[in-house]
Amino acid sequence: MRSFVPPLSRLLLWPSLMIALAFWLKGGASVGGGFPAGALAGLAVLLQYVVTGREQARRYAAVRYAAPLAGVGLLLVVGTAFLPVLAGYTPMTLFPRPGEPEVGMGGLHLHTALVFEGGLMLIVFGLVVTVIDRFALSTGRGEETGP
Amino acid sequence: MPLLLPILLALACAPLAYAAGRWRTAAAAWVGAAGALVALGALVWEGRQGPARLVLPWAPTWGLSLEFTRDGLSNLYAAMALGVGALVVLYSRAYMPHHLEEEGRPARDEVRFQFLLLAFMAAMVLLVTVDDLLLLFVALDLTTIVSYLLIGFDRDDPESRAAALLSLVLTGATSVVFFAGAMALGLQYGTFSLPLVIERAASSPASTGALVCLAVGALGKSAQVPFHFWLPRAMAAPTPVSSYLHSAAMVAAGVFLLQRLFPLFAPATAVRDGLLAVGFLSLGMGSLMALVADPFKRVLAYSTIAQYGYALVLVALGSEGAPLYVAAHAPCKAALFLTAGAVTQVTGRKKLSEVGGLRHSLPVLAGASAVAAAGLAALPLTVGFFKDEVFFHALVARGPAFMAAGLVGAGLTLAYTLRLWWGLFGGPRQGVPAAPRLLVAPVVVLAALILAGGVLPGLLVAPARAAAATMRGTPSTLALAYHLDARAENLLAVGAWALGATLFATRRAWTPALSRVLEGTSRVGPARGYRVLLHQLDTLSTWLHEKEVRDLRDRVASVLVPTGLLGIAVLAVTPLRGRFIVGSVGWADLTLVMALAFASAAALATLRAKDHLVLVLLLSCVGFSLAMVFAFAAAPDVALTSVLVETTFTLLFAGLLALLPVGRLKRAQQESQNPRGRDRIASGVAGASAFLLCWSALSHLQAERVGARTVQLAEAAHSPNVVAAVLTDFRGLDTVGEMSVVLAALLGVTSLLSLKGRR
Repeated sequence: MRSFVPPLSRLLLWPSLMIALAFWLKGGASVGGGFPAGALAGLAVLLQYVVTGREQARRYAAVRYAAPLAGVGLLLVVGTAFLPVLAGYTPMTLFPRPGEPEVGMGGLHLHTALVFEGGLMLIVFGLVVTVIDRFALSTGRGEETGP
Repeated sequence: MPLLLPILLALACAPLAYAAGRWRTAAAAWVGAAGALVALGALVWEGRQGPARLVLPWAPTWGLSLEFTRDGLSNLYAAMALGVGALVVLYSRAYMPHHLEEEGRPARDEVRFQFLLLAFMAAMVLLVTVDDLLLLFVALDLTTIVSYLLIGFDRDDPESRAAALLSLVLTGATSVVFFAGAMALGLQYGTFSLPLVIERAASSPASTGALVCLAVGALGKSAQVPFHFWLPRAMAAPTPVSSYLHSAAMVAAGVFLLQRLFPLFAPATAVRDGLLAVGFLSLGMGSLMALVADPFKRVLAYSTIAQYGYALVLVALGSEGAPLYVAAHAPCKAALFLTAGAVTQVTGRKKLSEVGGLRHSLPVLAGASAVAAAGLAALPLTVGFFKDEVFFHALVARGPAFMAAGLVGAGLTLAYTLRLWWGLFGGPRQGVPAAPRLLVAPVVVLAALILAGGVLPGLLVAPARAAAATMRGTPSTLALAYHLDARAENLLAVGAWALGATLFATRRAWTPALSRVLEGTSRVGPARGYRVLLHQLDTLSTWLHEKEVRDLRDRVASVLVPTGLLGIAVLAVTPLRGRFIVGSVGWADLTLVMALAFASAAALATLRAKDHLVLVLLLSCVGFSLAMVFAFAAAPDVALTSVLVETTFTLLFAGLLALLPVGRLKRAQQESQNPRGRDRIASGVAGASAFLLCWSALSHLQAERVGARTVQLAEAAHSPNVVAAVLTDFRGLDTVGEMSVVLAALLGVTSLLSLKGRR
């Protein structure tokens, strides 16, 4: 039973992340968005922790640097919100403005909301993965030193 | 936009220094000081282009905007903060390694120190350049918070932590009073923009209550009586902190606020008389305490209280010399503090009675600090001479009683300055090792500035006039020059020197008596009131804590019951007619009812759950059923998010349970199986309230609600997904706030669980 689960979970990681990215990119137009994208990506990593353990899961750079990624996410969110202020707009002004033509093709629309959603995704991902990692660290220690 | 350049450069210093410090510890100070000097250069370069204002819209519908100004006052104070800041940062490079070694802390903590110091500098620059009452309050609190971290930098030292807490409580509490005053003014004049407030105050003067609130905030910050006692305690901080906080920054902030808001105070003579009394009181008390204090940092701290008392008197009299006074005082006080730090580092002693005779071993330091002491005591050929000249000039206009008070004050200043310098450097020779060059160099630079200002007073006239003009709103005719005649100012100065010299010469005769008197008065002072208050608050909070956390069920009830009562109260005061409608259920709702039935069944099953893991799974069943409801109710976006969130939380919950001690979990489980009477009542109240509120809300679903409009707007905002449009656009700022909360929670989890892992 155990023999095929770990490789399967490893195989599942990349498709899940692709779906998370898709959620993020098409969030403005249909079902999706930064929040579910981050949660899904976090779940994909959680699967790695459960099946392969902390050491294996931490091979991925995104897992090791999850907390700084959340910081980057906050910078993106705050930047999208407040950089327009420097150009004389009110905070949280998104571009293109209502009425202006959209840029993009097919299902992909370029909009500064995309950056904002990307920030949300990174924050949620960072939160989920960091908490998992801390839990794994604490339980791991407990088993080593506990009764 | 260019107005922001010095502010942005000052804000960039701290992160840049931190990054450099991560690379190599020693680099932090050099990068930080260079950044401060570049910002100073930008400030000077921009200052030559004349005054300017910058208004960035913030929430235009509420009349809120971010306003910055470049005028005489902001230029003078920002230059002071940046210049002294750069020197203090360099000094810390030499001071902190030794200090950290003594405290038994790693050398890389120096980077944190430099970061905080530079952050303080940035907060100060921000404070002096903003032109908006609310931003003024924000910047003021920034300085309070950073100074808390700086004063408590030696966190393993209980004295240091207590001092930091004291300064935080006092300056924080008074700044809340300041906020109340700012709000009152904002409501009275309908704007928070300072120029507009001042303009409207010209036709209808500000209310006395609001002015008193503003003044209390400023007095707390400037450590004036009766808030003065945090300042000597704050001496527990590393010396560079004391040097910076007392000369150019924290304490100056209070007097700066009064100068910035002076046009509001100008017509309120009663408030100004109160300020005058407080100023003279601080002047007298600070001077007397400085005359008997033994640790030399304390002498300087009391001197700061006294000197800002002078500045307060000048502001209260509406003198145009007030900004000049603070600016002339800053380099003198900074240099003396840095001297004290160097002496402590070289000799390892902190009290005047333990050192002396250092002039032979440390001749350069002795010379430079003699210049600084002369500046503080207002001797000629130093910039300090002019600070007393403007002081006397303002007093002469008010009559003989004021002149006498000023004479005594200035005499006391000379006496304690002489006592300090002589205590450090005079007397029989003591052999000590040479001081590191970097410890002495900033003092020499400051002494050179003090001399330059004293020999070439013309350099100071333009900035002092610009600042005075900003403060009073009228052009200034301030003149600085030496006059060799028998005018009242000169006679007062000579009298003060004579008095100071006499006091110094006869000091052995009166010191014991004076210290006994001051010790007696300190037993009943405000410091004691603070201790009693803190103790009472501590007792109260312990009592509440005991009540609340003894039992998990009580703790939950203490949140749920008030919330439930509030909900019921809301329902009770709203009209009941047509409030609770029993709708009809058709075949089309079958799926919805099934999902809800599933959720209810899971919720009921939790009552009988024996094990925590089962409980978690049942709760997630409720969540998934509700996700199903959303899916049937044609809200796929919400359904997707709740499924993902529910999955994540169930797994994390299970992980958390694995971390908890098994015995405690079992005991909690047994307790919750035997509900007590008050548990039933509490859950009844909370449940009834939630049920009634939901029913009432769902009774009034209408098609034509705000939702339809939101859908239209979402199309216009290029985001057909309404949820995404609401999250990113319509309520985008809320999302930003929530996300910062999420990140704060992340930090909390990280630090809590790391703590557990380390133990």
